[in-house]
Amino acid sequence: MTTHCSDGAAPTTEKTALVVESGRDIDELLTSVLASEGWRIQRVVDNQHLLALAGAKPFDLIVTGRKTHLAEDVELLRKIRSARPHVRLIILTDKFTPGDVIAAMREGAFSYFSAPFDAFELAEMVRAAMAEPCWDDGIEVLSGTPEWISLTARCDLATADRLVQFLHGVRDPSIPEAEKDQVILAFREILINAMEHGGHFDTSQHVEISFIRARRAIACRVKDPGKGFSLEELRHAAAGNSPGDLFSHATVRDEQGMRPGGFGILLAKKLVDELIYNEKGNEVVLVKYLDPPKTPMI
Amino acid sequence: MGLQISIRKSGDVTIVDLRGRSTIDDGESESLSNQLQKLVANGVRKLLLNLADLAKVDSSGVAIIVRTFVSLKREGGDLKLLSPSGLVLEVLTVFRLISTIPTFKNEAEALASFQPRGYTARP
Repeated sequence: MTTHCSDGAAPTTEKTALVVESGRDIDELLTSVLASEGWRIQRVVDNQHLLALAGAKPFDLIVTGRKTHLAEDVELLRKIRSARPHVRLIILTDKFTPGDVIAAMREGAFSYFSAPFDAFELAEMVRAAMAEPCWDDGIEVLSGTPEWISLTARCDLATADRLVQFLHGVRDPSIPEAEKDQVILAFREILINAMEHGGHFDTSQHVEISFIRARRAIACRVKDPGKGFSLEELRHAAAGNSPGDLFSHATVRDEQGMRPGGFGILLAKKLVDELIYNEKGNEVVLVKYLDPPKTPMI
Repeated sequence: MGLQISIRKSGDVTIVDLRGRSTIDDGESESLSNQLQKLVANGVRKLLLNLADLAKVDSSGVAIIVRTFVSLKREGGDLKLLSPSGLVLEVLTVFRLISTIPTFKNEAEALASFQPRGYTARP
């Protein structure tokens, strides 16, 4: 698929990022990542100055400051994208609600980070934004409430990483971080399987996804565009080995010239409480149960 | 950039220090797989994988550790792990790799474990 992603900046000119100040640690991190690739950095103190500059000329990447509320950043993104629809904007924020995260995805933010920031992940995402040739149609939110989000994701690894980072950014105090990390890791494995085996990493193909937050459970549904498979006939994956046998499928993969792997379904199975496939094998639901709240509900 | 791999020697043990993430993204796991397979092909038989600074591993990273362990066993060699923590430790534990592949918290102990326990001649 060919999409025109330029907002006016000539591809051969020096790349420039517009960055709102966020404090020494974040500023230094962004400077080191951007400067290492020869990017020029223009700094501003707040969103108002950012909007004025972004309206005056195109920037290859914009990074917001952590002090503004996510809802304000989303509004800023909406304004910038009305004039420059392909702008790549990474949101950093200390203040947000789960609903704002959905709005950020819906408005086409490249990525979103909530405090406390993971410096390694932020650096990797900035690099991805700098390298990514085109991303606008990667994630499309079809419907969203804090309890139920439905979306589609393009079949490529960069889109999978962007989606996973959005999930990490949702910090719901009622979900323990350790359990959230397990669900996200399991979801990522199933998503990449769907993109690789169902969508063949074909960027014209999309995976359908739903996230449901119930009172005592989190569920994710992933449907790939492929023909499906049977778990019983899956000889190249560890999930098809006998219980306790981690190695048999590796021989099959070697014989078929496949990359080392085949642990994705097994890993996902072990991290969540339920992993349920449909009959065709192209749709799967993951469920993680949460402990009941410690305070009795009235 | 996602995974930095550096290789050093301590006696006859080859230590591979990993920093960053070993995931399917950007070919990080593929690059690690190639490096480890090259070491085994070049005759390395005592390999210590230092995971202290590995922040993240996914199923592709697990597959590489398993593959290297099997390759070395086949050649009469040994793979050992050093200082997995956080999510990496959790993933390795999920697959019971920590009980299958000898794992150490201390580099000196890990290195010593590669040496055969010989008899000391009495004076």
